[in-house]
Amino acid sequence: MTRPPDRRDDAAWLDEMLDEMAGSDVPAPAPDLMARVLADAVAQMPPPGGAPASAPLWRQIVRGLGGWSAVGGLVAAAATGFVVGLGGLETVGADALWSDTYYDSSTALDAFGWDYEEG
Amino acid sequence: MPLDTSPDTDDAAFLARYGRGDAAAARSLTVRLVPRVHAQAYRMLGDAAEAEDVAQEAMMRLWKIAPDWREGEAKVSTWLFRVVANLCTDRLRKRRGGNVPLEDVAEPADPTPSVEANMQTRARQDALRAALAELPERQRNAVAMRHFDGASNPEIAAALSISTEAVESLTARGKRALAHALKGQADALGYKG
Repeated sequence: MTRPPDRRDDAAWLDEMLDEMAGSDVPAPAPDLMARVLADAVAQMPPPGGAPASAPLWRQIVRGLGGWSAVGGLVAAAATGFVVGLGGLETVGADALWSDTYYDSSTALDAFGWDYEEG
Repeated sequence: MPLDTSPDTDDAAFLARYGRGDAAAARSLTVRLVPRVHAQAYRMLGDAAEAEDVAQEAMMRLWKIAPDWREGEAKVSTWLFRVVANLCTDRLRKRRGGNVPLEDVAEPADPTPSVEANMQTRARQDALRAALAELPERQRNAVAMRHFDGASNPEIAAALSISTEAVESLTARGKRALAHALKGQADALGYKG
């Protein structure tokens, strides 16, 4: 701060300001502060062993469905349904998938599917 | 309160232990971190009571984040540094509240030389704090970490998630902005700007 101006960089005074603040005395934190911080720590402290970590969404879904065995059963059922569906295509033909012709099975059925014979 | 009894254990390990319910780890972290956090807050605010409030608030945030803290992602000390810097900035901005322009901060006026010198020192620091508060967050943190914490470029880079090369540029821009903000007061503050 006391150096002559001609020996100083343009912003040397700024470095001096920053250094002055960095070197300024800092009072020690009051013992009361340490006690307050520690009280907060105890109040916020998770139970011994730690708080149960929040599970990711996919794990929550699996758990909601009943666990991995339930998921396995669902996958098996879905696969079976898919295979059965493919088998059905052999009967009606794969063209049925994109055909807009309406298949009316009711023509083969009378009176809700039962043929009444009178007499 | 006893001194840090495990100086070789790093902060993250203590925080992980605290997250598992270890009260002794909380004590070690308090002893180790509160003086540092309080000193940073005091330098930025220049007020002991406010610095204590900021230190307590910053530590509270640390306790709350402990269960979710992921080791290796950030250093506890740099995370805390940023929290304290942001808390202090909020307080400085509220304190100014638009009513005290930066130019008005530095007006020492006491006839006694020693008291006048103290007043001028105080005015310089107030002006610097006010100017720092106006910097963009990353510039302010880079300048403060460099000058107040003595952090190296790699440490600043890690704290701010930028490259080491970018630290130089960020610090230089921050100091240019500070010099620009304070230039008009350099003479009044006892400097030849």
